[in-house]
Amino acid sequence: MIHAKNLNKQFGDFVAVDNVSFSAPDGAVTGLLGPNGAGKTTSLRMIYGLMKPGGGSVEIDGIDMVARPLEAQKRIGVLPDLSGLYPRLTAREHIVYYGQLQGIEKAELNRRIAHWIEILDLSGIIDRRVAGFSHGERTKVALARAIVHNPQNILLDEPTNGLDVMSTRAVRELIRHLRAEGRCVVFSSHVMQEVSALCDRIVVMGRGKVVSEGTPEELLALTGMTSLEDAFVSLVGPHGEAA
Amino acid sequence: MNKIWIVAVKEWTDGFRDRRSLYTLLISALFGPLMIGFMFSQIASQQKGAQEIKIPVVGRQNAPVLINWLTQQSGVEVVDGPADPEAAVRDRKSDFVLVIEKEFAEKFRDSRPAPVQVVSDVTSQSTRSKVSRLNSLLNGFSSEMGGMRLMARGVSPVIVSALKVEQIDIATSQQRAAMIFNFIPMFLVISLFTAGMPIASDSTAGERERGSLEPLLLNPIPRWQLVAGKWMAAMGAALLGMLLTLAVTLVMLSRLALEELGIRNHVGTGQLILLLAATAPMALLAPAVQMFVSCFAKSFKEAQSYLGLLMIAPTIPGIAAVFYPLTNRPWLHPIPVLGQYAMVTEILGGKAPAPIAMIGATLTAVVLTALLLSLATRLFTSEKIIFGR
Repeated sequence: MIHAKNLNKQFGDFVAVDNVSFSAPDGAVTGLLGPNGAGKTTSLRMIYGLMKPGGGSVEIDGIDMVARPLEAQKRIGVLPDLSGLYPRLTAREHIVYYGQLQGIEKAELNRRIAHWIEILDLSGIIDRRVAGFSHGERTKVALARAIVHNPQNILLDEPTNGLDVMSTRAVRELIRHLRAEGRCVVFSSHVMQEVSALCDRIVVMGRGKVVSEGTPEELLALTGMTSLEDAFVSLVGPHGEAA
Repeated sequence: MNKIWIVAVKEWTDGFRDRRSLYTLLISALFGPLMIGFMFSQIASQQKGAQEIKIPVVGRQNAPVLINWLTQQSGVEVVDGPADPEAAVRDRKSDFVLVIEKEFAEKFRDSRPAPVQVVSDVTSQSTRSKVSRLNSLLNGFSSEMGGMRLMARGVSPVIVSALKVEQIDIATSQQRAAMIFNFIPMFLVISLFTAGMPIASDSTAGERERGSLEPLLLNPIPRWQLVAGKWMAAMGAALLGMLLTLAVTLVMLSRLALEELGIRNHVGTGQLILLLAATAPMALLAPAVQMFVSCFAKSFKEAQSYLGLLMIAPTIPGIAAVFYPLTNRPWLHPIPVLGQYAMVTEILGGKAPAPIAMIGATLTAVVLTALLLSLATRLFTSEKIIFGR
């Protein structure tokens, strides 16, 4: 369960995020949809606590991110916009490193790694060094690493960006799997199809503001459009400026 | 504490799989000692060259006694000299020539000073030691003959020697050899810097470059522990590099005939412990400085160029210390780098630095390290560093 209230962030004169509020419930996938530069990544960074909000607050399962960051961060798993792997370590070593930093016991950690090998189909690459991995393989490793501690809340910044069809399917399946387990999943995207294929709720952003929020059906009804893509264009404007 | 260790182990695994860092470690450990060994053997061979001497003689038939005596001396070989001795020396065909005049035989027989000429070029540096060797040989012959003549007349030859002057013509090589000894502290400190560099920069600037810092910081580990773990990994590599350098240096010193160069090799187990205690504080400080500097770099390569410049810090005082030895200046001890040079020079010279000097040096290093690490921890919290790529 994630609550973002009145988030603000300014870089110099540029207002990147302007009074953004939204909630992401458990057992559902919430999509942050918006064109490039709409403030999605900046909002996510404030939510996962690496960027200090200029104003407003973030609560993860009722824990204030600014006041108690380490506790709140224990309850989230994050895939930032860059996968950020170490080329000289193997896939397994990446997962083990984060698992150890999360304080997971060795036997339990091995059990979980076996679990993720199966779900993400990592068996062929698990003990190979990451240096030669494809983009899809890197994303899978980064995902397994990000959620090795079984967090209740999962934040994914453009997880399917640049992935081929097979990897995209694997990531989508993982997201559905996490939702079925009752977790709170938030992911950002500027790709309509991703959002419509997965999301229970959509938060539409443009120019640092939340333009609209609701289920896909609610958004269609609100705009009077028949397709989500038309609804999106009518909400953020044909050039990406918020209406 | 446990998490610091986890971070350090990861950085070691990562760092030692990097060929670049392994090569720098090996090169830094071998370069200094080998260079010192090379310089020592150069001096040793020069000196040997001066002792083994080939004397070109013109008119050897005039003084069979002298020639006989010369060939009996160790390391001396007599050869026929060139027809025109002065031209030969001027054209550098010969280093020097011994010319024995015709009247030598007659004057020698009559116990009058028998004339010989040493033709040489005084301005030539390289032949100077050989010429002085020849001169001392001739003096030796002269006083030996004179002594025998006195004895033949019933007078003790000791009477004519008011002084007993001992000539040690190796004075300059001895000085040069001692100077080379002064390079050792610099190479020890430099090996700390070079061996720690790859991990110090890869674990900071490298993390930024790969974008791996952001997810790493999301793990529930206090920033200071993260910084401490990375510092510990860099320090381990730096120490390893220094120990290797020290080991290679000591093996090399034990193989060189230092006594022949007029240097006493003082390094035993006690000195070894002292050497480690004197340099260890720099092993704490050097990686801390490198990490702090690397935090400002956006990429591994950028960090490497900053750290390359940083190497000037130990090198310049190190070279200066070779020519202006830092001994007997206790106020230098607490200053990082200079203090290490002073203490290592003293230890290699067979003197133990005062305990208070060692404690002072350690304290300043620990305080500065803590300061730099806390500054680095601050940088790790800065949004500009985490997201600025």
